[in-house]
Amino acid sequence: MIERRTFRAMGTEMELLVDADGAAEALDSAFDGAEAEFHRLEALLSRFREDSELSRLNRDGAIDAGPDLLRVVALALDARERTRGRFDPTVHDALVAAGYDRSFEDIAPESHVRCQAPDVSAGGVSIEGTRIVLEPGVRLDLGGIGKGYAAERAAELLALAGPCLVNAGGDVATRGGAWPVGVETTGDPLTLELRGAALATSGRDRRRWRRGGRELHHLIDPRTGAPAETDLLRVTVVAPDAVEAEVAAKALFLAGAGAARAEADEAGIPAVLVTERETALAGGLA
Amino acid sequence: MASHTGRLYTLALGLVVFFLAWAVVAAHPWGATVSDPRLKQLAAREAQLRRQARLVNRIVALRWAAYRSALKARQAQIVAAKAQASQLAAVSSVSAPSGGVRVVTLPPLTITRTS
Repeated sequence: MIERRTFRAMGTEMELLVDADGAAEALDSAFDGAEAEFHRLEALLSRFREDSELSRLNRDGAIDAGPDLLRVVALALDARERTRGRFDPTVHDALVAAGYDRSFEDIAPESHVRCQAPDVSAGGVSIEGTRIVLEPGVRLDLGGIGKGYAAERAAELLALAGPCLVNAGGDVATRGGAWPVGVETTGDPLTLELRGAALATSGRDRRRWRRGGRELHHLIDPRTGAPAETDLLRVTVVAPDAVEAEVAAKALFLAGAGAARAEADEAGIPAVLVTERETALAGGLA
Repeated sequence: MASHTGRLYTLALGLVVFFLAWAVVAAHPWGATVSDPRLKQLAAREAQLRRQARLVNRIVALRWAAYRSALKARQAQIVAAKAQASQLAAVSSVSAPSGGVRVVTLPPLTITRTS
């Protein structure tokens, strides 16, 4: 019997599914624990909350961080290294310059103000023990990777009630069981069955707005400091965990359809690549 | 002559004993601790500290017992969670030997969209 709970957190819709056969009390407790974990991590990692640990880091340039912020920043820096800069947490100012300077629900869909991409280069971030230090002018955005991290942490708590799936607005983490997950395509509906795997989708079909007559979206290309220009509409990637899936989806999205397909095939990363005209399966998916 | 000298010695010894007794009585060491107000305060303070120490020890003992009981319960929870997690991992590894994903025609339980 699949039990479900939905709620809003981190600026998106969260969905918790549990294949439960235990006591209702234990299930409620697991749902409450997982939901609370999302709110707890949002309070730490949101760049839109003045009092979050991330906002304090961005404001002060250096802080003694708690274990969650330390872990997410370390994961983000590792991802920047592995993707050779295609994933970069230091695009904060580029996102703000593009108009994504507040929670997405509060962004005006259209404005005549023109946006200027800032000069970008991989900003210096260092971790010394529990201290995170940013170079002057560097600020972090941990939106996507933070959601993947939160999905994994919530799944750990939810798994106490049974096999489960956590869908954090597109970042999906699972524990146990087999979970059919629908993927939006340009053609026929596609369903992927996940077993002990995670999945994430990145794209420019949502979180869009217009500035000065230009269509903008939230996926910044760190090489240009502007919203990425790519023939891909969205990319869905399957990986061992949601953080890995989120990073790979973003990196493949920036690569463009042709390069993304070759890269996914070569690295064996199961991926669904969606353009305006077609949907391609790569990395061993068939 | 000898009797005269003996009397003198006896008189001198009597005077020494008399003055010694006087000095001892004048010093009245048995009443000093009671009559000095500072010593009284110190004694009262010591008694108060002893009472407080007994109270603190009792509180610490109670909290220690509560902590040990909570620790025991938490350790039991952790053991149960680990057992459940390893059971889930065992189920996953048995049922998903080939990388964990395949395309199916089942209706989806959830949908992934751009995050």
